[in-house]
Formats: sequence, C-alpha cells, structure tokens
Amino acid sequence: MSAILSRRGALAAIGGALAGAVIGVPGAWASPLDKVKAKGILTVAVYKDYEPWSWMAEGRLVGIDVDIADLLAQSIGVRADVRQFLAGDDLADDLRNMVWKGTVVGAPPCDLMMHVPVDRQLQIDNDRAVIAGPYYRENFGMACNRETTDCEVPPPQLKGKRLVVETASIPDMYLSGAFGGSLRGDVRHVYTGADAVAAVASGDADATVATRAQIEHGMTPGGRVIERKGMVPLIFNPGWNVGFAVRDDSRDLADELEKQMAAIIGDGRMKAIFARYGVVHRDPILS
Amino acid sequence: MKRLHRLIATSALAGLMISGSTGAARAADGPGDPSKAPAPVPAQAAGPTDDDLMASATNTSSVLTYGMGPRAQRFSPLTTINADNVAKMVPAFASSLGGEKQRGQESQPIVYDGVIYVTGSYSRLFAFDARSGEKLWEYDARLPDGIMPCCDVVNRGAAIYGDKIIFGTLDAHLVALNRKTGKVIWNKTLADYSAGYSFTAAPMIVKGKVIYGNSGGEFGIIGKVEARDVNTGELVWSRPTVEGNMGMLNGKESTMTGKLNASWPGDMYKNGGGATWLGGTYDPDTNSLFFGTGNPGPWNSNLRPGDNLYTSSVLAIDPDTGEIKWHYQYTPHDGWDFDGVNEFIPFDATINGKPMKLGAQANRNGFFFVLDRTNGKFISATPFVSKITWATGYDKKGRPMFDPNNRPGPPTGEKGNTVFSAPSFLGGKNWMPMAFSQQTGMFYVPSNEWGMDIWNEPITYKKGAAYLGAGFTIKPLYEDHIGVLRAIDPTTGKIKWEYKNKAPLWGGVLTTAGNLVFTGTPEGYLKAFDAKTGKELWKFNTGSGVVGSPVTWEQDGEQYVAVMSGWGGAVPLWGGEVAKAVKEISQGGSLWVFKLPRQ
Repeated sequence: MSAILSRRGALAAIGGALAGAVIGVPGAWASPLDKVKAKGILTVAVYKDYEPWSWMAEGRLVGIDVDIADLLAQSIGVRADVRQFLAGDDLADDLRNMVWKGTVVGAPPCDLMMHVPVDRQLQIDNDRAVIAGPYYRENFGMACNRETTDCEVPPPQLKGKRLVVETASIPDMYLSGAFGGSLRGDVRHVYTGADAVAAVASGDADATVATRAQIEHGMTPGGRVIERKGMVPLIFNPGWNVGFAVRDDSRDLADELEKQMAAIIGDGRMKAIFARYGVVHRDPILS
Repeated sequence: MKRLHRLIATSALAGLMISGSTGAARAADGPGDPSKAPAPVPAQAAGPTDDDLMASATNTSSVLTYGMGPRAQRFSPLTTINADNVAKMVPAFASSLGGEKQRGQESQPIVYDGVIYVTGSYSRLFAFDARSGEKLWEYDARLPDGIMPCCDVVNRGAAIYGDKIIFGTLDAHLVALNRKTGKVIWNKTLADYSAGYSFTAAPMIVKGKVIYGNSGGEFGIIGKVEARDVNTGELVWSRPTVEGNMGMLNGKESTMTGKLNASWPGDMYKNGGGATWLGGTYDPDTNSLFFGTGNPGPWNSNLRPGDNLYTSSVLAIDPDTGEIKWHYQYTPHDGWDFDGVNEFIPFDATINGKPMKLGAQANRNGFFFVLDRTNGKFISATPFVSKITWATGYDKKGRPMFDPNNRPGPPTGEKGNTVFSAPSFLGGKNWMPMAFSQQTGMFYVPSNEWGMDIWNEPITYKKGAAYLGAGFTIKPLYEDHIGVLRAIDPTTGKIKWEYKNKAPLWGGVLTTAGNLVFTGTPEGYLKAFDAKTGKELWKFNTGSGVVGSPVTWEQDGEQYVAVMSGWGGAVPLWGGEVAKAVKEISQGGSLWVFKLPRQ
C-alpha cells in the first residue's frame, strides 16, 4: 500500500503542476480543499442505476454511496451536491468525465467521485485522477431461490435452472461462458445486478451471480433469497477494494477525505450506513 | 471491453482535449426552442418534393440528399470544373460555425434555393447564403447535462423536404425546422438519451417518410430502422435488426425479424447489438432501403456461438412496411468489432456479359463486397486493404473462410495470448462514404492501413466493479502512410490506382463527370484527383482537418464545390503510433466553398 501511495503521490504532484500550467484554471494556486470549503459545497459523482450504492427511489437519489458522500461533506463542514451519471465503457471514461476533464458536451467534473476501485494499475493508467480512501471490500457471490435451488451445488449442476444475470458483467461472462458454456441457454439478462437478485427474490428466477452487496441488499429475513456459503468456483476475480477519486491537483482534498473516511469506518458509522441497506460492511483488504 | 464496445454505439468519438469547459446549460441561441409545443403544420409546403428527392442525383442546381441522390453514389454529372482546369480553383468564401464548440465536422452540406444548410458538432444546424456565405440563421439544440458523455459530438447532415430541414441530435431527438426561419416545426424523442442513446447520422426521406437508424445505448441495445411521417414526426414503422425481436407497423406489432434463436443462444438476441447508426441508402428501381448493421454484443464472440443474425449485415427493407426483403451477412459471428454499417451503394454494371442491378459496400473487415441488389445474392468480395488476418477470403456462397488462430479467445481471469488482427476495429474503411462514378465505372474508397494487437485483459473495471475486458493497441501497418484513397473496379475487384496519405483518411468522397475525385485529409487539405489515373491535380488547406463530405452544384452559371473543415472524429482518440500522425492538427469549424475564377 505504501508503495502505491508514494507512486500515486508522485504522479499527482507531476499531474497537478501540469494541470495548473496548461489548463490555467482560475485560482489554480488556491488549495482545492480550501476552495471546496469556501464554496461550501462538495460536488460528488455517483453511478446512475446502481442499487444499493446510488439509485432513484421514490424520486430521490438514495444509496450507500450517497450517504457516505453526505457524511464526508459534513465532516469537512460543507454540503454534498450529489449527481448521478451514466457509466461509460470503463473506469477510464468515468474518471475522465466525472473527475479530471468533464464531459464532451461541457458539464464540468465533480470534486469527488464515489465507488472507484482502488487498484494499482487503474491508478497508473489514469494518472490525472487520484484514487484513495478505500472504504469497502467487494466480491462476487451466488444467490439462489431457496424454494427451488440448492445454492451449494457445483455450478454446472444449475443446468436447467432459470438463471438471471446483469448483462455484460463478469457474472454474465461466468454464467454464459464458464463450464464450456453449458449454462448459456438458461441465462436471462437484466440491466443491473440488483434486478437480477430481485428476480430471484420474486420467484421469477432460480439463481444469479452478483456482487455481495447486491445480494445482501436483495435478501429479506425469511425471504426466498439465500446466499451460497462456499466460494463461487472459477469466478475470475477474488474481489477488489472500493474507494473514491479526485482530480490530480486535489491531493489535499483526497488526504482530508481519506482521513475522514477512516474515522467514519473506525467509529461504526460506516457499518450503520451499510446496515440501512441490508449490506454487511467489509473492511478493505490493505496489502 | 472498452473501446470496442463503445464503437458499437458511436464510431466517431470526437476526441481532442478540451479544457475550460464553460459549463452546464447550452444556450439555445437559435430561434427554435425544442421544449415548446410544435407549431401547426402548414398545409402546402413549397420546397423539395418526394419526386425531387428521387431525381436529386441528376439535379445539378441543388444538393437535396445526403449522398447526392437516394443511391448515395456521390457522383455529379457537372463538367464545368474538370481535370483540365481544376488546378485554377480558388475559394469563393468560408463561413465559420463560431463559438467554442469545435471538434469534428463530419457533415455534408445540403444546397437548395440559394441556401447552404450544414449541421455542426454539438447538434447545431446552420443556414448560410450560398452566394455570400453570410449566416442566415442558426439552430442550437439545447443538450441536456445528463447526455451520455462518451458519445461523439459530430453530426453528418440534414434532410430537406418541403418547408422543412430535418436533423438528429446528440440527445436522440429528431427535429424538423422551418428551412427559412430555423423555427421548430416538430421535435420527436427517438430514444432515451439518459440510457445512452444518441443520434449522429443524416436522416433520409423516402415517400414522405423520414427513415433513420439508431445509435448509442450502453447496455446491449438492439439495432432498429424506423420510419416517421415527415409532416408530423409520428412513427409509421419500426424494424429491429436482430432476429427474434418484433417489428411495429402503424402502432401494431407486425412481424418478427428472422426466426427466434436460429443463430443466437438463450435471450442474447434481446440485447444483441446490430445498431444502424450510420443511416441507409435507397434504390428506387427495387423500392428497397439498404441499411448496414453494427457488430453483435457482447463483444467476446465465444459467449454467443452462432451467426448472430442480422448483425454485421446489410438488410434490404421495404420502405412502405418495414419488412425485410433480404439480408446478407458480411461477417457472420463477428469477433473483431467489424461493424457492418458502412454505406451500401446501388449501381448498375455488366458482370460476365450480363447487365446487372448491383450494390457495393467497403466493409470494416477489409473486403469490398458486390451483391445482386434485387435478391442479396453474393457476387464477390475482394480485399481493398493490403493486409487481412481474420479470414483468407470468401467462398462462392459468400461465407468467409475464417482463420481460427486469429479469433480472440474466450474470457479468462488471466492475460490471454495477443492476437494481431488486421484491419483494426476502426476498419479498412470507417464511416466515411465512398463514391461511384458513372463516368469511369469505378468506386473511390477512402481506406486505412492499420491493425491491432488484442488480448484478454483480466484487470479492468466497469461501473465501479471488476470486469474482464480486452486490451488492444492500434498499429499503423506502414511508416509513411495510414490513409489510402483507392479506385476499385467493382466488376473485377481490381485496384486501378491509389493515393497514400500520412494521416488516416476520415472524410467522404465526391466524384464528377469532369473526371475528378475530391476528398479531404486530416492535414487540412481538400484535394482533387484525376478520376482515371489518381494524379493529384489540386489541393487547398482549409486550416483544420477535413472529415466531412464534399458536394458540388451549379449556381448562376458557375460550378461550386463545398466541404466542411473541422478536425475530430475517432482518430484523435487512439494513442500510440496513430496519434503521431495527427498530433499537430488544430481544431476548427468552417464551411469552405470553391469555384473557378471568372474568366
């Protein structure tokens, strides 16, 4: 971690100097943290249609990331202005549009973007953003309809079950591609992982693979959804840490928010936020 | 699968850095306001009629259609400017699109009744006086903040009909303006921009219907071709391009496209790709629309065994009902992002002594196709670029002979083997339209010589979560050039001449009976070539890259040539070696008009 941090710091310093010089942002020499405090608002980007992290419910933007953003803003004495955005083809698009450059039609970037995987290569490949503040450990799990499906069987035995999955995701590649593609014909595709879990909960499907947060959020006490206890074999990915990103000239903002994030995790407020959405908070694995 | 996936939706992503974005709301400084209710439809609208549009290929006093005729041959019978005198051609005027909104200007001008209509980047439409270049009016679509940011900001042109000039916007609206005032007559939502849908093609008008394709949509859309009443904007029919999906006609379900699950596993046909984002052509002889379709999704072909009809194909569609008459699939079971949307141009020629009604397409996959346009029967597929790795050729039935070693592998959790694939997914030819000369019988094809290294990439992220994508690097095949303009004899597939350009070619082509071929270059030139020999006869630097399509017409006894200048499109997005060829090119946004000096 420390190696990543120091490299990140160096990249941020170089990038920050360039940004100031080339772009000529007005007031580029004022500290970004001071600027946020001066305007009294922290603009925060969250993914659109991303239950349980950020989604519209009864006309309101809600979710774990929204609540964390509010708390982070409060902790530095400002108000959060949380905006949802449509995911691009990958994180590089999202970081460019929401963190360091703005969109091609002219919407400016936000001060902060939530739910950015904390990954060394992602940071190196996107050196105009600073990725920091890990707050959760995510991975993939399997959920089943307890009335119809034994969730602990080797996955090839799910053949003939009504499978459902978020389209164009790792779980999709897993169910549609693994085991020689033997499950492919049984897979129904939906727009989000939350929709997939909801289909299992309503009895419209027998099993899904989704993120742990999506699964736990979709489970209700005594409901149909059960989570596989064992590992999902050959799922391609062991899990990843989730953090945030700021622009490369805003290292002091990242440092301050990272400190506040640690405090929010440390004193149990993070656990409480996750619990509101039925999700168990898992500490990021720092290596 | 980042870029590849994105290209399903948009081929020409505008690319260069912009800084100092001025922020949120787009001022609608044109006279129209899309949020207002449509104005009443005038009962009789003076202006181009259906018959005028069908006859537009031989009407030398106007440019009434995208493609200069419904068949989009981009051929003019004019000879005033010709191979003997083009060297003397000079600018008549230039008109700036103004503002800070620049990026790629991929539009083709429409010319009618002393006015030049051009669409600009960021969903703008301009009317300029065709004699003086003075701006008459400008319509600036009020683009919402939530518009899909990855999508390109280009627009390829407008359609004219009666009192209307019609174009599509980046937030997936179709807008009909009064061509004299720029005021909105109707404004229809084609699709939900907040789900990533967009619109960049030039619409076409056939038999009183506006006909267009769809583009964008992040999560597994399916392609559609649709027709709306030109006077009201109301939907008449809708035809999905992927088998298993249901069509619509006059508000009711019509017929299913193809046969359910014949070439797709499970429910993948419901989000199988096949977008029709570049629009189509029309052949009055056979009463057929021809629409090319995008590549299938998901990107990794190993997940969707089967031909995946009708992706990477051309569809012949009845404009009256939206029924598919025939199809031909250029790239069955595509695994390289060989989008099939490039224009299919109807033409007539004699093959083996037999006069035939044909059509041709230069595909992303590097092959130049000739089909019988009455029934879709395969005639020939010949390479038009110097290197093709994915297939060794086509058999007599029109099926590609794949090289299985050159198909990217199934997704894995580890970095896979690197496959070198040519052409790259940007294609042997991309969106930029070719031209067919009725004088020489040749097609003039703007092509690019590049390949790509491609490999499975286990550590990528999408929408905040881990993802298995593919990594790739686009590589020029030669040091001294990427772009090549080629003259191809469609009856033999033989290349008659070629012109090499350092930067990739990204603009359309025009040919005339004056033995001329015109096209633009990213270096900023509009160039004229001898149509028979390929000799470069004239060039003029417009100050920014030319990625638009030139047109020509006659006015007050003189012949004019016009083209948009303004660098952008997909090319500047790709780093590495390709970027080196274009890094010194500045942005712009101007209409340039040329003619011969008065004697």
